[in-house]
Amino acid sequence: MDDDELISVLPIHYSNSLTPNVHIHQFPLLSRPLQTPPAAALSGKRIRARIKPVTRRLEIHVPVDPRPEVWNGERSKELGAARQEDDREKNQDVGKMKLREGEEPRLTEVRMRSEPIPQEGAYMLGVVRNGQLHLQPISETHQFRPTLTYLDIMSRKSRRSRGNAGSDEDSDDGPPPDPDEPPPVQIASKKEKKPLEVKEVQVSARKAGDDKGNLQGGLSAVRREMLLAIRAEEDEVWEDLDFCDGETVEGQEVFEAVFSQNEEHLECQSDITAFLKGIKGL
Amino acid sequence: MADSGSTSNTGTPSTPSGTPGPSVPKAIGSLAKKPTDVTRQGTQKLKFVPTLPSRRKKEEEAPPPTAPSASTDRGRGRGRGRGRGGEGRGAAPRPPPVEMTASGPFAMGPALAGTSARRSAPRSNFAPIVPLGPGNAASLGAGLSGSAGPLLKREKGSTQNVLVEKETKSEIDDDYYSDPDEGVEIIDMENVRQMDWMAPESLRKERKEKKKKKVIQVKIEDPSSPSGIKKKEEAMDIEEVDLANALDLSESEEEEELEDLIDDFALQGEADQDADIRQERLYFFQFPEPFPTFVSDIPSTSPTTMSVDEPPSDSRPRKVSFAADTKPPGPSGDLAGASTGPDADQAKDTPKIDGVIGQLEVYRSGAVKMRLSNGILMDVTGATQPSFLQQAVHLDLQNKRLHVMGEVNKRFVVSPDIDTLLHAMELRDQAEANDMPIDDTNLIKMD
Repeated sequence: MDDDELISVLPIHYSNSLTPNVHIHQFPLLSRPLQTPPAAALSGKRIRARIKPVTRRLEIHVPVDPRPEVWNGERSKELGAARQEDDREKNQDVGKMKLREGEEPRLTEVRMRSEPIPQEGAYMLGVVRNGQLHLQPISETHQFRPTLTYLDIMSRKSRRSRGNAGSDEDSDDGPPPDPDEPPPVQIASKKEKKPLEVKEVQVSARKAGDDKGNLQGGLSAVRREMLLAIRAEEDEVWEDLDFCDGETVEGQEVFEAVFSQNEEHLECQSDITAFLKGIKGL
Repeated sequence: MADSGSTSNTGTPSTPSGTPGPSVPKAIGSLAKKPTDVTRQGTQKLKFVPTLPSRRKKEEEAPPPTAPSASTDRGRGRGRGRGRGGEGRGAAPRPPPVEMTASGPFAMGPALAGTSARRSAPRSNFAPIVPLGPGNAASLGAGLSGSAGPLLKREKGSTQNVLVEKETKSEIDDDYYSDPDEGVEIIDMENVRQMDWMAPESLRKERKEKKKKKVIQVKIEDPSSPSGIKKKEEAMDIEEVDLANALDLSESEEEEELEDLIDDFALQGEADQDADIRQERLYFFQFPEPFPTFVSDIPSTSPTTMSVDEPPSDSRPRKVSFAADTKPPGPSGDLAGASTGPDADQAKDTPKIDGVIGQLEVYRSGAVKMRLSNGILMDVTGATQPSFLQQAVHLDLQNKRLHVMGEVNKRFVVSPDIDTLLHAMELRDQAEANDMPIDDTNLIKMD
């Protein structure tokens, strides 16, 4: 490799001016750019986003293409009603209820919900400009997938209409029963009669196990933590965000901030052996 | 003899071979296979039976798979009539293509697919046929509305048409179908994506032999960067050199990668930078943990002391603390946090670093190395490229904004160069060994 000729050298600039706000968003089920369809853009719809800052969960709402040849209007009304109910349950109303007073609610957007992905190693975003490579650290990685929780509502309705017993589809009501916990038979029917209060499940489960020992205090500790976390997340309020595409003025400013302004050579304090030593367990 | 021969054959009346072989015993005449029917291995020879109806059917099947949807609304009845007419004519060299009925979103001709600034997909330039009126709509197409899809970005698309024409014409030469007539639109399956906003993605094909065409296509796509074209030409030459010398790694993906690595980094300043579209590509680098810490060595403040006089971002001693942000909260993060405690009030969470940390070297063989200061040498290799969309965003909670900085075009993995790493480990071990006291009675020197 010694006779390998050097073609070019690019100085590497590093700047963490935008840390910790630089994220990578991945859309595993999408291979085309994230844009509003032209048909929807005509009616003024844009991509919107909102965040729960504490739990770090993001949602991106992408309007759908409402042309009749690719979109079933009737079905969108059914699903829209289901989604509205689902929103009310889970405290995730969009808040823009203007259209929904006169007419039936429709499904007009795809909601993509984020899942944080653990990062392996240090991620950097690199841009080449003017023969220089500029790096910025990436703090979080999120994967976005469409949420279809309104389908749960629809299946619940259809299951209720079909009767409580004898439903041959997968039971969707909550996590599978804890082996420590007595089988909550009566809870299922309670839940279906009062579908609006999801918290009912947890309360009644605890009640059933109250007379038992500590471990059997309704739920095991891990499960209780999980349920608490879910509840806390649902209780948190969404904050709306402005989804700025790449071509806005603010976007340009932010993009320019990626580039480092300084020409100074930084001194490195770590050694290459730190990589090997940094491997946990070695 | 002839009768027994014919019964042992496949039974078609127009068998050309009818002469019995000389060595067929009469005792088992009907059971034995004739030598003319049997190949040397003893298997039954296949008889060629040319008949006019079979040939016509074969040809008629060929156009329908390649024209999956047409923008004509002629009913199937007429198609059948045509077929019958074709049959009547007999030995027509090319029968008229079977007409398909319009159905689905392509009923009204190709609407425009949106194009994004960075992922500029070439728009297919096959002739958009004007639909010949509703006519006898087939059962499938009956439910569709008659309105055409919105043609918002036609202007943008049409300018690309001219550029793409060259590319698509060259592709057409490979698979040449009959001229579009009778309102049949020929659609290349690979370009289905461009037909409509909601059109499905077509699966990508292996493009080994079309490497050069691909490069040409890319050239035409970015006419605004003349230096880019030159670089791509060079890359192509380099690649040819590589192919001659290197092993025949006929995986087209690897070759593309090499070309792209050189390509990505060897662009020494592009002349045209359209400010709106931001031609810079975003790359994703994955470094091993822990990312080396850098400090500035401005003589006014020593690197070890953490006292800060004024907060311009380039004169403060800083440490990088990634662990605070990334998932594994290693000890390096805590150290950095502790030592930059007084700095933390002035910075938000992490102290700011800005400066040159090293250089990226691109070699002729396609290897890319990063040489950071303090003798750190890293290899840069292409990572697995995901097929889905990845965006780099900036979340601005103060202003409640989520900026999309762009799409990540390529991913790279950075790993320490093993030779350098091992050498450094050796040196370190030697240094440690020398530091150890050798007069400790419990220790035995193993040299």
